[in-house]
Parts: sequence; C-alpha cells; structure tokens
Amino acid sequence: MKDAPPSHRRRFLIGLTIAALIAVFLGAALLAAARAGESRERSERRSVVTLLALAQLIDRAGGGAPAAEEPSFGLGEELPPIEGEEAVPEAVEEPVEDPGVAVRRAVAAFAKAHPEVKAVRVVGFEGIRLEASTNPEDKAPRRLEREEKPLYDLGQKLRAAVAGNREGLEGAARAEEVAVERLPGGLLRLSAPVERAGDVTGMVQMDTDPAEVRAVFPWLPALLAWLAPVVLFVLLSFVLGERRALLAAAAVVLLLGTLLALRAWSRRELEAERRTTAKTIAGAVKQEGERAGALLAELGLPADPPLAPELWDANLYREPRGLIRTGGVVDEGRLGELVGADAGRLTRSVVVLALIALALLAFIGWGWAARTGAALVRYRFAYAYTLPAMLGMIFLAIFPFFYSVVLSFTNANIYNTDQSVFETWIGLDNFIDILGDFSVVHRTAEGLVWDYQNFYWTLGFTLVWTVTNVLLGVTLGLLLALALNTKGLALRAVYRVILILPWALPTYITALVFKGMFHKQFGVINQIFQIFGADPIAWFDRPLTSFLAVLTTNGWLSFSFMMVVSLGALQSIPADLYEAARVDGATRWQQFKAITLPSLRPALVPAIILSVIWTFNQFIVIFLVSAGEPGRATEILVTQSYKIAFEQYRYGYAAAYAMVIFVILLAYGTWQNRVTKATEAIG
Amino acid sequence: MKRKHLSHWPIHLFVLMMVIVTLYPVLFVITIAFSGGQTLSIADLPQDPTIADRLRAIMPWPENVSTENFRSLFADQPFARWLLNSIAISLATTVVGVFLASTAAYAFSRFRFPGRRAGLMMFLVSQMFPATLMLIPLYILIVQVLGLESSYVGLVLMYAQTAIPLCVWMLKGYFDTIPKELEESALIDGASQSTIFFRIVLPLAKPAVAVTALFSFMTAWNEFVQAATFMNKEQMYTAPVGLRFFVSGFSEQWGYFAAGSIIAAIPVVILFLFLQKYLVSGLTAGAVKG
Repeated sequence: MKDAPPSHRRRFLIGLTIAALIAVFLGAALLAAARAGESRERSERRSVVTLLALAQLIDRAGGGAPAAEEPSFGLGEELPPIEGEEAVPEAVEEPVEDPGVAVRRAVAAFAKAHPEVKAVRVVGFEGIRLEASTNPEDKAPRRLEREEKPLYDLGQKLRAAVAGNREGLEGAARAEEVAVERLPGGLLRLSAPVERAGDVTGMVQMDTDPAEVRAVFPWLPALLAWLAPVVLFVLLSFVLGERRALLAAAAVVLLLGTLLALRAWSRRELEAERRTTAKTIAGAVKQEGERAGALLAELGLPADPPLAPELWDANLYREPRGLIRTGGVVDEGRLGELVGADAGRLTRSVVVLALIALALLAFIGWGWAARTGAALVRYRFAYAYTLPAMLGMIFLAIFPFFYSVVLSFTNANIYNTDQSVFETWIGLDNFIDILGDFSVVHRTAEGLVWDYQNFYWTLGFTLVWTVTNVLLGVTLGLLLALALNTKGLALRAVYRVILILPWALPTYITALVFKGMFHKQFGVINQIFQIFGADPIAWFDRPLTSFLAVLTTNGWLSFSFMMVVSLGALQSIPADLYEAARVDGATRWQQFKAITLPSLRPALVPAIILSVIWTFNQFIVIFLVSAGEPGRATEILVTQSYKIAFEQYRYGYAAAYAMVIFVILLAYGTWQNRVTKATEAIG
Repeated sequence: MKRKHLSHWPIHLFVLMMVIVTLYPVLFVITIAFSGGQTLSIADLPQDPTIADRLRAIMPWPENVSTENFRSLFADQPFARWLLNSIAISLATTVVGVFLASTAAYAFSRFRFPGRRAGLMMFLVSQMFPATLMLIPLYILIVQVLGLESSYVGLVLMYAQTAIPLCVWMLKGYFDTIPKELEESALIDGASQSTIFFRIVLPLAKPAVAVTALFSFMTAWNEFVQAATFMNKEQMYTAPVGLRFFVSGFSEQWGYFAAGSIIAAIPVVILFLFLQKYLVSGLTAGAVKG
C-alpha cells in the first residue's frame, strides 16, 4: 500500500512552528541576556562613581601615606562599624600632621554618608600598612599580615597598571586600573589606586551592595510572538489549500514579520535600558558630587581644585566615558550614539536568527526533513555503524579544518588566544602578505640576493625538491627492479631484503643519521672526501650543498618503495608474453617497450602520484637534516608553515600558509585524478 | 648455461653498489652504538692522518666493541620511560583506530546508503591534508582549549586523526573481498545485522584486523613531528622525540642515539618486512581510487 501524498500544509505548519519557536525564544533569550548585562554594568558603573569619589576624598586627605612618626597601636583610631549608629568619635587629640588620621576620618565620614557601602579599607604601600578600615576587627592602622598578601598584591597590580598606562605606547595592551570583583554574598568589591602628587601611594577597597534588579525572561511577549504567526498561518492555510509555493511564501512572510516585530520590540527595550542607565549614572554623579563637596567641607580638606564628578563615570582604565557632562547632565548626542550602536548589533543578530529560521523552515517545509528522517530510519544500521568513526573524524578532522580556514583570516598568535575570532579578524591580509610579495630577488652591490623567506622562493624550492626526488627515486627503483627481475640472478632474495631496509627504517632515524654523516668535522662523508684530497665541506652553509645533502637523504630512503612497486608489477607480467614476442622475432628493446613499460604503468602511476605527495610533504628530512639552513633557503612549504606556527607562534599566518599548501595539493590531486582516469581509459 | 650466469656480473656490480650504499648508514649506526662512546666519528684521527688512518675512520667497525651505551641508556637515561610512553600511546591509538574503524569499514563495504561516497571521500581527503594544516588547529584545540599538553590523551587524539582513515580504508578493502553470500545465507537463517557482523564477518576478518592494527601501531610508533610538538616535558617524550633530544642543541650524545635507534627500530623493521606486501597493495589501491 502506498502512503498518502504528504500534506504541504502540515509540513509548512510544523516548519513554521519550529522555526518561529527557535527564532523567538533565541531572540528573547539574547534580549534578556543583554538586559541583564546592561543592568549589571549599570550597577558596576554606579559603584565606580562612588569608588572614585571615595578615592578622590582619600587623595585629598593625604593619599594613604604613612604616618610621619609611627603611631603606637593603642593610639590608633578605632572606626565605628558601619551598621553601628554611634557618631564618629572626634579624634581631636591626634596630631593633625599625621595624614593617616585624616584618611581614617575621611573614610569614616564617607562610610557614614553611604549606607550602601558595607566596608572600606585603605592600604598604604609605604610600610605595607592597612591605613584605615571600617571593620573594627581589622584594628587599623597596622602592618599588613602575611595572610593579607593578596590585598597588597592587588594594590601593586593597580599601581603597575597606572604606571604602565601612563607611559603606555600607542596600541600597547592596557591594564585595568580599577578592579571589580563579585563577592559570593552578592556584594561588589571595587579597588582603586590612591594617588598623591601623581604617584600611586596606596589602594582603597570598597565593598558595596549593588542593589541590582534581576531582569526576568519575557515569557508572555515571547509566547505571543511565537503563537501569533502560527495561528495566522493556520487561518491562511484554509484559504491557500495545498498550493505549495503560496504556502511557502505565506510562511516566509509570517516568519520575517515576526522577526521584524521582535527587532522593534528588542530595540525599544534596549533603548529604555540605556536611558535608565544614563539617568541612574547622572543621578549618581550629581549625588556623589554633592556628598563629596559636603564631606570636604566637613573634614576641612582642600576644596581646590574643584571636584569634577562627571569624570567619575569612568571605565576600568579610569577614562571618563563622556556620557555625563558637567553638572550631572546626560550628553544626549553620546547617548544617541550608544543607542545607534545597539540597533546595529541588534540588526546583525536578527539577520543571523532569520537565516537559521528560514533554513529550518525550508528544511522541514520542503520535505527534506522527512526525507532525511526516512533515510536515517531506513539505513539505520549503516549510520549506526559509521557513527563512531564519523564522530571521530568530525571532531578531529572536519572541525579543525574549518577552524583552520577561519584562523587563516585572523592574526591569531600566542598573545591573543583569549580573544575571539571577531576581534582578531583581518580578512585577506595574510593571503595578500603571502601571495602578493613578489620581491624574491634583490639587486645589490654584491650581486643578486635571494629572499629565502619569500613564499615564491620556498614554493620554487619545494617544486625542485619534489621533482628531483621523484625522478631520482623512480630511476633508481626501476633500475633495481629490472636488475632484480633478471631470471636466475643469484642472491636475489638477499638483495631484495637489504634494499628494502631504507623503507622499513623509521624516517626520523634515517634523517638524524644522515645529519650526523654530513657533519662538517666528524661526518664520514667529509672523511671520504678527504681521502681523495678534497677539503671538508660545510654542507649546510650554502643552499646548493645543503640541497644535495637533503636530496641524498631522501633519495636513500625513497628508492625502496619504487623498487618494490616496480618489482611487483614486473613479476606479474606473464612469461608467455615475452615468449610470444620472441617467437615473433622481437628484440629485447622492443620487448621492453611493448611489454614491460605498459605493464608497469598501472602500478607505477599511482606510486608516482603517492611519492609526489609524500615528497612534497616530506617534513622530517628537511626539518631534521638541513633545518632550512642556510637562512631558511632549504625550507619547503610544510616546514616553513610549521616554523611560522611553532617558532614564531603566528597561528593565523601559519594557517593561511597551510591553506595555500592545501589548495596546491588539491589542485594537484584533481589534476592527477583526471590524468589517471585518462590513462585508465587508454590502457 | 654457464655463460649466461657469467653475463650477470654487471648486474651484480650495480646491485652490490646499491647494497653498500644502503647498508653503510645502517652499519654506521651499529658501529656508533657499540663503540661505547658518544662521538660521531668511528675512529680518532691523529694530527696528520695518513690515508690508512682515514680509511680506518670510515670503516663501520668500532675500535673497541662495548655494550656500555645500551646499559647506560637504560641505567642513566630516561629511555625506558620514553619507550613506555611510546608503547602506551601507540597501543591506545591502535585500539581507538581499529575499534572505531571496523564497524565503519564494514558499513562502507556492504551498505549502499546516502552519504556513503561523501564519507569515503572525507576519509581519503583527510589523509591528504598536509600534517601542518591539521597540526595548527589541533594544537590550539587540544593544548589551549582542552589543556591536554604533554598528555597521553592529547597525543592519542592527534594520532587517531590519521589512524581512523587508514584503518577504515584498509579494513574496507578486506571486507570487499569477503563473499556476500555468507551473510545473505545467515540473514535468511534469521541472524540479526549485528550478529552477522560480530559473529561471522569479524572472525573471518581477523587477519586483516591484525594487519591493520600492526600498521596503525607502527605509524604511531614512528611518528615524530606531532609528538615533538605536543610533548614538552622530558618525562612525557616518546622514543622518537627522546632520540632526537640526544643529538639536538648542545648535547651530542651520538652513542645513546645510535643504541636507542637500534632498539626503537628493530621491532618495526621486522614487522615491516613481514607486512610490506599488504602495505604496497593497500597504498596503490587507495591511490587509484583517489
């Protein structure tokens, strides 16, 4: 019995339902994440304003400098706990010259004015002291203890960051001057450097309650946005019937409409968040400015130069963000820029979502999903059997391959591995750099100078290397095979086993042995030369001799393979062919041309193809014998790309280099495929 | 008849020359290994060497035969540890390769299913990737993302990338030669698909599985580049990386290198001599299909 024809209506309905579900909920989740991020950033920024106000206050109170004379511990001023409502004990009996006292008084007054601030600590670097703390158990001021080393280290890190950023070169990596840490209890711990006369002399640390509002996932709007197009489609499908093209168009229009609505809604929400942030920060700046002014007056600290609270809305490098203007007014132009940037990012996300959703819709609606499902069920054994190997290859070959493709468009290197691909993306620069540099040779006073680093030199060398090696291997291998194929040759089996040894030996051992034999002073090859009265040769000092050395090494280890292949093919030629030829009066040369060579071809052609690829990729011989000496002249493409990756650590550039190699190999593979097919057709 | 044999002498001459060229480096390594010293030269040359002195210096026979290098290799150098690393990694690679590949090779050989050609091409093309092309992304993934530098698992993952396609192709070639009738009759008798594979086909393919496993082991055993890149701790070196360590940079311990090379090479050379006929047919068959 045949199945009923599939219902297009049902397929498109399922497709639309799933596509809209994924697009809407993914979009809503992204929006919720963006809102949560904005709210988190808002509270951090608000806390930074408070922190910088505090730092400003402490700067003016004496900058965490040590006491002029070491105060005895008993005299140290006890600060009240923040929660305690007692008034700050007036410390009039302290000598006023001790700036530590002023700092402690400033901290206490500040804490009193800020109920959301739970703890404040001030560290002075000179004398490694805990200068002030709102926690009475800290017994400030005193020397920092061994367990408090992390606190001191953090301060030193900030000091180094300030110094580094100040003398920082253009484009150098900048370090954060404000540290923000989230404590397990939900508190924010912020630390900033304290300065006096431009020097970082201490650090102030503040624990504050950020009072965040958690953004909730917009369930109801998301559900509505998902179900509306589905319901509409059901209604429409009654009108459209089983007309496939119309159904598809309706589904696409509904899906895109939903996404546009999602975009408009998200945009409104994001703009509202931005405005809230701006308003909050403006309020904070104004409030902190007023409080700080009042505290300066109360503590009798210098009010000159006037405070600039609008600079307290700064990023972690203590650079003002420029959103708040003097007097705590929001800069509308800057806000507009931010909102515009949000809209741009939003559009990009929606386009990606639309592509995913449309692909899903097409996949299900057009019936591909049904077919794929049917194939999966029908060939379930085949797929189950191939699954483990396929998964292995997807993880170990396919994914890395595409990762490598992506990497080749970046300037990824060992220093920026923590950055995402988007941050290191440089487009085609690597390829232009590699392929666009034709200055292989310069004319100088001393004559022509070759640039061995140039891609085209290496490419040329690789081609010469491949061709000479394969020629050498084929010639030697074929001659030996013909010799060993001689009928009645004594010791044939012994010869064969010995001559196969180079192939059997691990390549790295061969390479290292030859490296030793080509040693200038102690190598046996120079010893042999000296027997004939020649001077010892420094093999790796000139490109030509270096090339001869690697050629010898590779020739030694590659002729065996050709010999074995040719010998196998020769032995499979039926003897009666030659007999018949002899009966017909053919000479030996004619026999060789008419029988031997054609019979060799089917075995020799694939062997040569293989040998070309092997030699082209013969990493070990070059890497271990010549190591590219002199000056990278004898580097082949694969060793060059390896060295770029693992000696210079330029992963992106090396990936681009490897990609070029891959394209060359691919072109060769396609070409040889066509050629061998041609030979098969002829033969 | 006699004349004919006499006419072979130019052939013998040519082959003998090649035999000398072939054997000389091998004998050289053996000489250094049994010399008991660490130098690269077979004999010390006097100030003004005569031709006889120089001839002595190229004769592959040590001045004093000694097994000191072999003893010291295990007693004073971490060579035993390196051998152990090599054995563990090669065995694990073989097991992973053969285990993952056997069912896949069977499916590729027996079933005609959508994606079969693409899958086979994938296995073939992935063998054509230049080693460095895969080395860079795999290095970043395995070392920097998974944090598996200088670990067995990391290197085995790396090796599996070459071992799986090799095993799939070799085993598929063998499964192709097993007659289908056997399975068809089992199917008629009511055997399930998995019974057929595990009870009938796999036992028949034991020799092929063994050969595949040995090749996969040898490949991992002889591998140098990836091991040298991944294994940065001396403790975790494989034998090839360790052997190179003896003669690279400022250390010129040719005696250790030669002795270690002999130990590392003997098993694979013997295996190779036994298995090479399978390798030749497998390689050329694969290349033609490509």
